[in-house]
Amino acid sequence: MLKDISIGRYYRANSVLHNLDPRCKAILFILYLVAIFLLKSPIAIGLLVVLTVILQILGKIPPKVMWNSAKPILPIIILIVVLNVLTLKSGDVIFSWWKITITEGGVKSALIMAVRLLMMILVTSIILTLTTTPLKLSEALEKLFAPLKVIKFPVHEMAMMMSIALRFIPTLIDETDKIMKAQVSRGADYDTGTIVSRLKGYVTVLVPLFVSSFRRADELATAMDARCYNGGEGRTKLHPLKLTGKDVAIFIALSLGAFLLVAVEKIDSIRSLF
Amino acid sequence: MENTARAKDVRFSYSDSDKYAVDGASLTIGEGEYVALLGANGSGKSTMAKLLDVLEMPNEGDITVFGIDTKDDDKFWDIRRNTGCVFQNPDNQIVGTTVEEDVAFGPENIGIPNPELSERVENALKYVGLFDKKERQTAKLSGGQKQKLAIAGVLAMSPKFLLLDEATAMLDPVSRDEFLALVEKLVRENKISVLTITHDMTEASRTDKVYIMEKGKITLEGAPQDVLNNVPEMLEAGLDSPIYSKLLWEIKNATGLNYSLEDAKTIRSALRFLGAHFTDAKIKAPSAKPKYDETLISVKNLSYAYDDKGPKALKNIDLDIKKGELLALVGRSGCGKTTLITHMNGIIRPQGEGKVEFHYGDTVLSTSKKKEIKQIRQKVGLVFQYPEYQLFEETVYKDIAYGPKKMGMKDDELDKAIRDAAKQVGLDDEVLEKSPFELSGGQQRRVALAGVIAMKPEVLVLDEPAAGLDSRGRREMFKTISELKKNGTTIVLVTHYMDEAYEHADRICTMKDGMIMGVSDPIKMFEDKDALREMEIRAPYLRRFLEIIAVRLGLDPVSKKNLLRAQSVKEAALLLGGVDA
Repeated sequence: MLKDISIGRYYRANSVLHNLDPRCKAILFILYLVAIFLLKSPIAIGLLVVLTVILQILGKIPPKVMWNSAKPILPIIILIVVLNVLTLKSGDVIFSWWKITITEGGVKSALIMAVRLLMMILVTSIILTLTTTPLKLSEALEKLFAPLKVIKFPVHEMAMMMSIALRFIPTLIDETDKIMKAQVSRGADYDTGTIVSRLKGYVTVLVPLFVSSFRRADELATAMDARCYNGGEGRTKLHPLKLTGKDVAIFIALSLGAFLLVAVEKIDSIRSLF
Repeated sequence: MENTARAKDVRFSYSDSDKYAVDGASLTIGEGEYVALLGANGSGKSTMAKLLDVLEMPNEGDITVFGIDTKDDDKFWDIRRNTGCVFQNPDNQIVGTTVEEDVAFGPENIGIPNPELSERVENALKYVGLFDKKERQTAKLSGGQKQKLAIAGVLAMSPKFLLLDEATAMLDPVSRDEFLALVEKLVRENKISVLTITHDMTEASRTDKVYIMEKGKITLEGAPQDVLNNVPEMLEAGLDSPIYSKLLWEIKNATGLNYSLEDAKTIRSALRFLGAHFTDAKIKAPSAKPKYDETLISVKNLSYAYDDKGPKALKNIDLDIKKGELLALVGRSGCGKTTLITHMNGIIRPQGEGKVEFHYGDTVLSTSKKKEIKQIRQKVGLVFQYPEYQLFEETVYKDIAYGPKKMGMKDDELDKAIRDAAKQVGLDDEVLEKSPFELSGGQQRRVALAGVIAMKPEVLVLDEPAAGLDSRGRREMFKTISELKKNGTTIVLVTHYMDEAYEHADRICTMKDGMIMGVSDPIKMFEDKDALREMEIRAPYLRRFLEIIAVRLGLDPVSKKNLLRAQSVKEAALLLGGVDA
């Protein structure tokens, strides 16, 4: 019943982006995010689209997978376009009827907004979720936030919690499925009835799921204790993150892309002043 | 021989109450020794394992492991570092998302640097045979593979002492044998000392020494053949004995023929004893078993695949379930048993041509028709594996009431159904007002069973109803099932164990790779040796033992045939003793 949920949506492939150090990817992601927020000019946006396609090719991600990660947010984008078109008023009037007026400026800025949002989602997917396993990402965050240990922020513990949560998601999905089947055998019905009665119905799943999660947590803690887990101090790593010259080169090349975007934007906006 | 671990007069309580989980227990495990600790559920044996790995501290008494006192705060890490634990539930001891990460977890914790770390991981995975799966997601492994992974995780720490806390309880017999072979290889080749906590008598009989624990105390200890064959003592402790000693004991109960412990020690001594008393015995035919002819559920040409590309979980299944019978479904994990029974009340609906029909008088209900599913669910009660994990209500009474209420039962009828169901599974009235979560695991299972029985189903489908229970729990569960059957409920029993199926079933249906290999009367099923070999089915222990007895006693063909019709040890004892049931 719950089998079609896919978490993280990692796309397995062997590409430049897949092999890039996850710390580099996390920083690149932030650079691109900032750059995209600054963009307004159509030329810069056009360049962004080109860069996104280049990233997609580097990550060896098929268009169908890209489409799947963009699909869920399309309704939101359409809603934003419609709202912008109806409310922003600048430049020549294209269309006017009753209280609705559509202007050239409104359409233009709505389209820019839409493309920007779409590219933001696609860039996030390409740089992070599609090419990086959740576990790699949590390791990258542990490393990047390591300086926070100075102020006693439990960086290692947070990363450990995240990776254990990821490890248990499939287990808990399986368990939910089993409990639902058992309750359905006893006459439970999760698909029909009012919202209130459906929510009430979910109690029959949630209570056993919570009880078993606590039991699992307890047993896991004992098992971790027995395997000498004693916090992050003095731990080694089977596959430590290693930054190679290649990683640095790719990182610099890709971050130039983000800087290029901002530069084009600036030049374009200065030019438009004259 | 030096001792690996020694506990002396240990007492331990989880709370401040006077109730001690371990109450004055002493035991020693020698270097390189393979020791079993047996006991019923709640006897304190798991607590003992935790005490030995310094996961808990004793209130009284001393424990030393590798000569180090567990109370020594500076050195207890040395104990944990050199002691590996494998626990019962495979899912709740895996930390890593991938196989190799999980194996690395322990050595990472004790700071083993690379490249030694990756060498250790590689060697451990090769030892248990999971090396080719090192990048697999741990959640996608089978139960048996998960337990092997747990062993690999322990091996990567190069331990000197291995603690197995019911590590095989959730495995099917084939995975269990593989796991035990692995453990025995460790004892033999790596000279690791092992303490295994188990309910399984076969496992215990393969060790060097056994301890029996009852209510926190060690009540018996010694070589396995001396301890395990002491039938009355073992029953008293909620355990079981090997088939040969049980047979002598049952003969004594039936005829008064006395035997000594020496006679019951090995198969050979038991055969000698039987030979002395029953050679050339004339064995009467056992009373005829009832026949069941009326079809209640018919499964027709059923195939099923969980996804379009994957392999089929069921392939062209045709099966009739007769009214009033007990049909056993036997096969390895993953053979399609659970998928098949989930079809029986329409939780999974047939794909394509397949049909599952329920014959009720002249009407035929089909799970292919959405409207009829609710009716079918009332008539076919399904109890999944470990049903205690589905309890959710505040009280046992309310939890049992959930199903019948959904089916539309009310007031007095509902109250009566709940109380009758509770009585049938052996729950006292006072338990009904308790929270299900304060009961023991065995009692929780009975509550879950009562929740389905209260719906008054015509057919009860039970998926491994005795899994994880101790011997006493198993006996009681099967007593309940026989009573339900006597009251006219048709039963479909899913089990890994041929012996269990052989003893209780009217017909056995064996499955493999999504197909039915054969459906037959248990006695007939094991007569054709060639067919068995083809189906890769091993005859039950009881049957193989009876065949040996028949040869040893030199029985005439008729007597031999009659003896082989015994489906339980007790029945065999009655036949040998010439006593009518």
